[in-house]
Amino acid sequence: MLRKLNQNELADADNKRMQSKRFWMVITYIVTVMLLCTLFLVSVNIGSLKVSFSELFSGLFVAYDSNVATIYDLRFPRIIISMLAGAAVAVSGVLFQAVLKNPLADPGIIGISSGAGLAAVCVTALAPSLYFFTPVVACVGGVIAFLLVYILSWKGGLSPLRIILTGIAVDALFTGLSSVVNSMSGGDRTGVASIVEGNITQKTWADVRTLLPYVFVGMLLALLSVRKCNLLALEDKTARSLGVNVNQTRIGISVIAVILASISTAVVGAISFLGLIVPHIGRLLVGSDHKKLIPFSALAGAVIFLLADTIGRTIARPYEVAAPVVMSVIGGPFFLVLLKRKHKEV
Amino acid sequence: MGEYMMRVKELSFSYGKNKILKNISLEIPEGKITTILGANGCGKSTLFSLMTKNLVPGRGSIYLQKKNIGGMSLGDFARRVSIVHQYNTAADDMTVERLIAMGRTPHQKAFGGKSEEDERLVEWALSVTNLVDFRGREVGKLSGGQRQRVWIAMALAQNTKMLFLDEPTTYLDIRYQLEILELVKRLNTEFGITIVMVLHEINQAICFSDRIIGLKDGHVAVEGDPEEVITPDTLEELYGVKLGVALIDGHKYVMTGNLM
Repeated sequence: MLRKLNQNELADADNKRMQSKRFWMVITYIVTVMLLCTLFLVSVNIGSLKVSFSELFSGLFVAYDSNVATIYDLRFPRIIISMLAGAAVAVSGVLFQAVLKNPLADPGIIGISSGAGLAAVCVTALAPSLYFFTPVVACVGGVIAFLLVYILSWKGGLSPLRIILTGIAVDALFTGLSSVVNSMSGGDRTGVASIVEGNITQKTWADVRTLLPYVFVGMLLALLSVRKCNLLALEDKTARSLGVNVNQTRIGISVIAVILASISTAVVGAISFLGLIVPHIGRLLVGSDHKKLIPFSALAGAVIFLLADTIGRTIARPYEVAAPVVMSVIGGPFFLVLLKRKHKEV
Repeated sequence: MGEYMMRVKELSFSYGKNKILKNISLEIPEGKITTILGANGCGKSTLFSLMTKNLVPGRGSIYLQKKNIGGMSLGDFARRVSIVHQYNTAADDMTVERLIAMGRTPHQKAFGGKSEEDERLVEWALSVTNLVDFRGREVGKLSGGQRQRVWIAMALAQNTKMLFLDEPTTYLDIRYQLEILELVKRLNTEFGITIVMVLHEINQAICFSDRIIGLKDGHVAVEGDPEEVITPDTLEELYGVKLGVALIDGHKYVMTGNLM
């Protein structure tokens, strides 16, 4: 009788804990959305031109205002691109971590982004007439990089550490090659240099239009693979016993992750650590269920990358620090902390 | 004996030149508990993997109620046979109920929601495994024995007539070992589930199985009712050591503590 009572109390405690978790998750989502909106408005107003919120609103929706029009043409594309690319790379990170069963996987660190970057750079430098196909070519580059990392680190299984080490080597190779192509093309073709250096200053609405459909499709596919990602978190044999073709599922989700990482690389350059940091924060705040983790990572990725870009724009005015550079400076130490924690667990 | 649930016919399997299974034929009777025994490296894990579609036979075939499992899709197989593997992992913050609900995967459409049938079977699996009070608990907070019950419950939610268990008692202390084996027995007697398991403990195998299959060097050396077929001679053939067999209250006990 006493034992039964304790059991009930424990079940009640479980219930309460679940409820408070759900409550905090909702709060986390609301706060993240609010952060994104605030950051958007702050970012719109940073620079030599300043407009109040009401001026911005009326300039956009009511009557023409030359200041607002300039901001709309120059700052809006950049802000929207930052948000789209940040969301894409963060979700790509979640997917890679699910597929590789490796909490340290990140499209930047394991060389996917630099593979896509090299492909994009080659198109821009060697065959500028194919400019329109840059995103597709970047995706092919990303797939090649992923296959290289996967095959080279396969040794009867995938050890997390070996993937990272192989990835770093592949990343270094592709980054180096990109620099070579950049230098050989005289380094003055802004298109090439902007991909290599991760420069998003010159972005226009045309770039938004290039990025948007791919990110939209990639995100949609990512949201549709939520259940599959959760199944991959089980042991392979167990997932298989539930009727899941584990290899096919892995390939499918990898393709989505590569597309998301490659397309953002084609437009803003390789971003490191973002795809690593965001999912980790997400797991702490909303848990490891991909149904919650993927949408949250998209939001938080947008926030963090927009924040990096905004910091980059303000910290050394009138000069600018590229957002991916800011990302590396923040992300590097974060990665080291994670690596240390991971070692403690093992 | 009654109907056969699964029939293994002239099955051979090798890793490279290393022959693991040599022309094995055997039957798994319906509604019974069958335990596979044998020394390390006798081929029992390979046989288990072949019967659960984790390996493809080199020669021969395996039939599930007269249907060759080689021609079945993974999903089709998962709707008929559930498997509890020896080693399992889940995210620490996953709740018991959500994990068990994943057992419904083979019955669900790719993008559909939960059906009433899904909910009913998850409830049933929770109550059979005595986990109703733990439904909201995170898997990371459970003891080893409770966690093993969750994996069995997930397999039960698959709602199959056949259940495979690969060394379900490893990593557990004796109290939880017995708890798990009692549960397996109940699944068999109360719900008529046909059970195939791999066990290391000979006495538990005798006590909890209707039928024993003893493998030795890739062929079936012993097959039948444990009370009949377990003798000092068959044990020596299977494990290469002489062990005494005592009769207590009409049941056989193998003296695993000392050599004869």
